[in-house]
Amino acid sequence: MSLMKDLTRGIYRENPIFKLALGMCPFLAVTTSVENAIGMGAAATFVLICSNFLVSLLRNLIPSKVRIPCYIVIIATFVTLVDMVMNAYVPDLHRSLGIFIPLIVVNCIILGRAEGFANRHPVMSSVADAVGMGVGFTLAMIVLASFRELLGNGTWLNISILGTAYRNQPLLIAILAPGAFILLGFILGFFSILEKRRGGGR
Amino acid sequence: MSGSALLSILISAPETGNGGFDLGRMMAIIIAAIFVNNFVLSRFLGICPFLGVSKQLDSALGMGAAVIFVMTLATLGSWTVYNLLLVPMELTYLRTIAFILIIASLVQLVEMILQKFSPALYQALGIFLPLITTNCAILGVAVLNIDEKYSLGYSLVNAIAAGIGFTLALVLMAGLRQRLELADVPPALKGKPVAFLVAGVMSIAFLGFAGLGG
Amino acid sequence: MAEMLKLGLVLMLVALVAAVALGLVNSRTAPIIAEQKEMEKQEAMRQVAGNLSPGDSLRFDSLTVSGLPNPYYSVDSFLRVVKVSVPPDTSGVGYVFIAYGKGYSSTVQTMVAADMQGRIAGTTILYQQETPGLGANVTDPSKLIGSFTGRGSVGILLAKDGGEIDAITGSTITSRAVTNSVREGLEAMEEAGLFAPGALTGDEDLPQQPPCDDVGSSAGNDVTGTADTDSTAAEGGNE
Repeated sequence: MSLMKDLTRGIYRENPIFKLALGMCPFLAVTTSVENAIGMGAAATFVLICSNFLVSLLRNLIPSKVRIPCYIVIIATFVTLVDMVMNAYVPDLHRSLGIFIPLIVVNCIILGRAEGFANRHPVMSSVADAVGMGVGFTLAMIVLASFRELLGNGTWLNISILGTAYRNQPLLIAILAPGAFILLGFILGFFSILEKRRGGGR
Repeated sequence: MSGSALLSILISAPETGNGGFDLGRMMAIIIAAIFVNNFVLSRFLGICPFLGVSKQLDSALGMGAAVIFVMTLATLGSWTVYNLLLVPMELTYLRTIAFILIIASLVQLVEMILQKFSPALYQALGIFLPLITTNCAILGVAVLNIDEKYSLGYSLVNAIAAGIGFTLALVLMAGLRQRLELADVPPALKGKPVAFLVAGVMSIAFLGFAGLGG
Repeated sequence: MAEMLKLGLVLMLVALVAAVALGLVNSRTAPIIAEQKEMEKQEAMRQVAGNLSPGDSLRFDSLTVSGLPNPYYSVDSFLRVVKVSVPPDTSGVGYVFIAYGKGYSSTVQTMVAADMQGRIAGTTILYQQETPGLGANVTDPSKLIGSFTGRGSVGILLAKDGGEIDAITGSTITSRAVTNSVREGLEAMEEAGLFAPGALTGDEDLPQQPPCDDVGSSAGNDVTGTADTDSTAAEGGNE
């Protein structure tokens, strides 16, 4: 089914982070804990689904000359919406994601999918694509965040895993800025080995 | 219930943020924005151009110049609109939408003006300008200036310094990547992975600035 | 021309719909957000002030302390001093204020309660955006801020700066920001003469005057109590 294909595309084959290298800024910045990663993923996925839906719905109504400004307004509207709702109902999460909530506006995944997919495809497949991309983005963030939280704080989703002895002397660098770059470098290297294996097996 | 009076007392801004000008504070902002909280290596803003445009030293410099330029203008525009328009009209919730529109139209405007009046500069910066709209460092600095409650003067200083910090990271990265071309990198790490590893090592170096200027 | 008009109209329509939608949502969420912030502050005030006089009902009067010492950039501390008093006794039982200190990546806001002798009764961090796992540990009451309790302004200095307070491991900048901003708050109140005379403060064993005390010299500090902004009889915390 092509709808299924739209849905799964973003999760592995065209994973926005590992394959397309889009949306790096929030990806690196908020992956200090799994909780933040899930929160950010949910917010971005919501915006992605809504904007893909609306862009696809209006694709024949918006003149192509002003489509980019229109997309930006649509995306910014949903981002502001998420911002307000999170501030009202999950203030702690809102606080820890901080500046990266308004910055969802410039997350290249969202504008990229609006411009590259939703404006040429029907509503259903656009939404499926958005769900796939959003889930792919979220999963990628959870992967990096798991490494960072486990190594840097000895916990996973705030559950102590490595015990207090480790937590008193954790590998702090993992949670600091360099840890994000270095761990991502190794994860990408791992994927490229995986890719080669698969390519060689064929 | 005069809770609102209490609230207004408690959440009002630190006063140095709004008025006065203090050279020490200004230096602290500059050092923080360039080194301690480097936009790319510590705050993770502007990663996409950092990876995309850092293959050549020339283009890194061009991109850096364009970012400094647009960042300063965008800060001027966004600060003015926020404090003189959105705050008095109690529309601060439109901040994100207003800022991104300001940045997008500013980039368009700069592109048109440069094309018309300075073809040489347009040649140099032109190709980078469209990329800048989605550079989160620009929106980031605009939002940070509001969050930190900087005055217009401090905001502009912060914007220029942040742009310099971005350029510094970009240029350093470009220099390293040119060397990297000749290095013997394990095949699995070629390309993006090793770029991230290098960025990580640079980020460690920048951690050493922690403590400078508080 | 007609096309320009059409494009303009489309853009305007999109912007209009967006603005209306956001306005609607904002009208729903804004009061919730405001209420939540208010609750958080109230909760923090009760928590720290409860240590002053457990079980009493407290009134918070606002005070203005001007002429703060504003030394270097490492600390921007600003107080909003609120007098805490039990109804029949207008002299008050202590003070609550918020200190602002520039940390590593944010301005840390600390709410502080001090008794009439100028000793810390309780502290809580209201806002911080420091590095998770490092500076963000300031919120842990068993670490830095817990060791402030019972100390006067003289004792609130990091061990690294010659005092007795241990900084949080790996987070000297954050620890120093909080410690110095809290101390400055107390010092400003001392200079304004808010504490009981001859208590812990202003003794002869206090050689270190703030480096720029010409800023906040005797003429500089005036204290204004504004009775009309008093508020909320808050229940004192039980703990």
